[in-house]
Amino acid sequence: MNHSGMHHPGGTRYAPPVGYSAIEAYGLGKRYRRGWALQDVSFRLPAGRVCGLVGPNGAGKTTLMGLATNMIQPTTGALRVFDAAPGSREAILRTAFLSQEKPLFRRFTVAETLRLGRELNPRWDQGVAEGLVSAGQVPLSARIGTLSGGQRTRVAFSLAFGKRPDLLILDEPMSDLDPLVRRELMATLTAEAAQHGTTVLVSSHMLAELQHICDYLLVIANGGLRLAGEVNELRAAHAWFAAPGGGPSPALAPHRVVEFRGEEGRQGALVRLGGPIEYGGQAEHPTLEELLLAYLRSPDAPSLIAPGAQVGDIHDVIARDRNKTVTA
Amino acid sequence: MTTLTHDPAHSVSAGRPRDGRGSRLAGPGLGGTSWLVWRQHRAAYWTLVAVTLLGVAVMVCLRGQMMDQLNALDSSPKKSDSLPPDFEMHTSRLFSFGSYLGYLPILVGVFLGAPLIAGDLESGTVKLVTSQSVSRLRWLTTKLAMTAGLIALSTAVLGAVFNWWWSPLRGRSDTLEWTSSVFFDGTGIMPVAYALLTFTVGVAVGMVLRRTLVSMVVTLGIVGAIGLVWDRFRLDLGNVLSVSTHNGVGSGAAPPKLPDQAVQQGQGAYFLTSSGDKLDWTTCVAQSEHTKAHTACLESKHVIGWSIDYLPVSQMHTMQWLGAGIMLAVTAAVVAFVIPWGRKRLL
Repeated sequence: MNHSGMHHPGGTRYAPPVGYSAIEAYGLGKRYRRGWALQDVSFRLPAGRVCGLVGPNGAGKTTLMGLATNMIQPTTGALRVFDAAPGSREAILRTAFLSQEKPLFRRFTVAETLRLGRELNPRWDQGVAEGLVSAGQVPLSARIGTLSGGQRTRVAFSLAFGKRPDLLILDEPMSDLDPLVRRELMATLTAEAAQHGTTVLVSSHMLAELQHICDYLLVIANGGLRLAGEVNELRAAHAWFAAPGGGPSPALAPHRVVEFRGEEGRQGALVRLGGPIEYGGQAEHPTLEELLLAYLRSPDAPSLIAPGAQVGDIHDVIARDRNKTVTA
Repeated sequence: MTTLTHDPAHSVSAGRPRDGRGSRLAGPGLGGTSWLVWRQHRAAYWTLVAVTLLGVAVMVCLRGQMMDQLNALDSSPKKSDSLPPDFEMHTSRLFSFGSYLGYLPILVGVFLGAPLIAGDLESGTVKLVTSQSVSRLRWLTTKLAMTAGLIALSTAVLGAVFNWWWSPLRGRSDTLEWTSSVFFDGTGIMPVAYALLTFTVGVAVGMVLRRTLVSMVVTLGIVGAIGLVWDRFRLDLGNVLSVSTHNGVGSGAAPPKLPDQAVQQGQGAYFLTSSGDKLDWTTCVAQSEHTKAHTACLESKHVIGWSIDYLPVSQMHTMQWLGAGIMLAVTAAVVAFVIPWGRKRLL
């Protein structure tokens, strides 16, 4: 890893410049025997963000994470992690992945599990890992097999954090935790990420879990990307029009209606803004949840990839790689 | 926006690798992937070591008892080359212990080979390991190499000690033929090659089937089939020689004597004709009641003497190395399948 450090002296490695991408996907697709799990997904995730990856069950979240961690090979397109191929030494060193099942060696003790992290990761931080474990009163001498589900998740978390990743990928990390532990681990996650500038990609099928910690959002449904971009940017691009009668109205004219809705006593339309708008009165900012649900329920509405989340052409990357090999 | 400006903390952590490595050296010998592999499979490894030590101890002990009696025999006044009937206890012990050793490759394939990767695939820990900083290839090769090394060491030691136990009886007992699977497969390079073959077959099966129990059963079947094929073809590796007489086959003419430790092949002594053909024992068997008619029958077929096919003991080493070479070649082919498969499809 020392010589890879030489290729990226100073800043790039530990303090990526603003605008530097943690993940870039170009026309990414993955086909399994039963069909496409992910198709034509292109986006970029700027470094330093906490990004929620949201979508219904089976939307392709796990596939996307597998592609980013080199566990799955794409059928089409390509994905870059910190401008390196997912399987490259640099990408592997800088990425930590916590899969949904959080597998651990059941016969290892907690201490041995942490030693596994220390033995297999050159950037290992024992202090961080031990701190996380002891915050949950998990005894170091306990065997993994004897721990509760929540304690096991905590140990798996400490392995991921101890790796000192620049990109931390968490697949449904909170699914088996009680609300208290969930809250505490989420707080730890954001604190750690903020302190070290870690980019976090965390998936969930429940937006409520994520909306307080994410400043970036990727929404996928049916194998395609529906929304991508900074949370504020996405919200600012939409408005909620209260329209008691329902149906088209002149106020909606310049905008593209994503969804009409009339339930829970609140009728109206969620629109993607096509022109200037005055909030207050009829129009108001949609909540993140409203936005998400509207897009998930309206498969016909075109996807919205915010400008900051768009990538260039794949040929740019190829050209960039070529330059790199020439200069290297 | 957030946090892109931190570095003191990180430059400190960038210095960690060296610290990490230092503490590894101070540890109990193993570091990195080898520590993980040892820790994960230490029960199996210790079992193998214990079985080896136990086997060696038993063999040393039994050989000691055998040598006591053998020395007593040799120093007794009426010394003879053949062994007395009460010595049979020792030869049968040797033979049955050797047959137990013959099960070792099967056990190695089923209990070490099959679960080696299948266990990780089944429990998902393969994902845990591959999301650390080591490459899949390195982990896989460490796993294969450490286990294979231990198996090779253990089988080599057992084979050598067994050979040492057997060697005083070589050529002294008619029942202990070197061509039997007990001695042919149990000494020298053979047990090593055989166990490595079954081990890699088990690994490959486990990798493809991804379930521990299923792959153990399938490995048992495949290894059993390999054993059957091997039993059938083992002696074809040798170059069968024959020894003949030309003094007729009458009552005065005895069949030829085989060299020391040579093992007869084929179906007993053949009748050798003047043209060099070999006729088997059923020739003229109808006339065997009457000596005259029998002789006349044999003469009508121009039988001039006896001929016996045999394998000399001098070929044992060559045949063992040839057999081991074939097994190791198959092993290498299986490894050449396992490694790319593991790199690409381990998850």
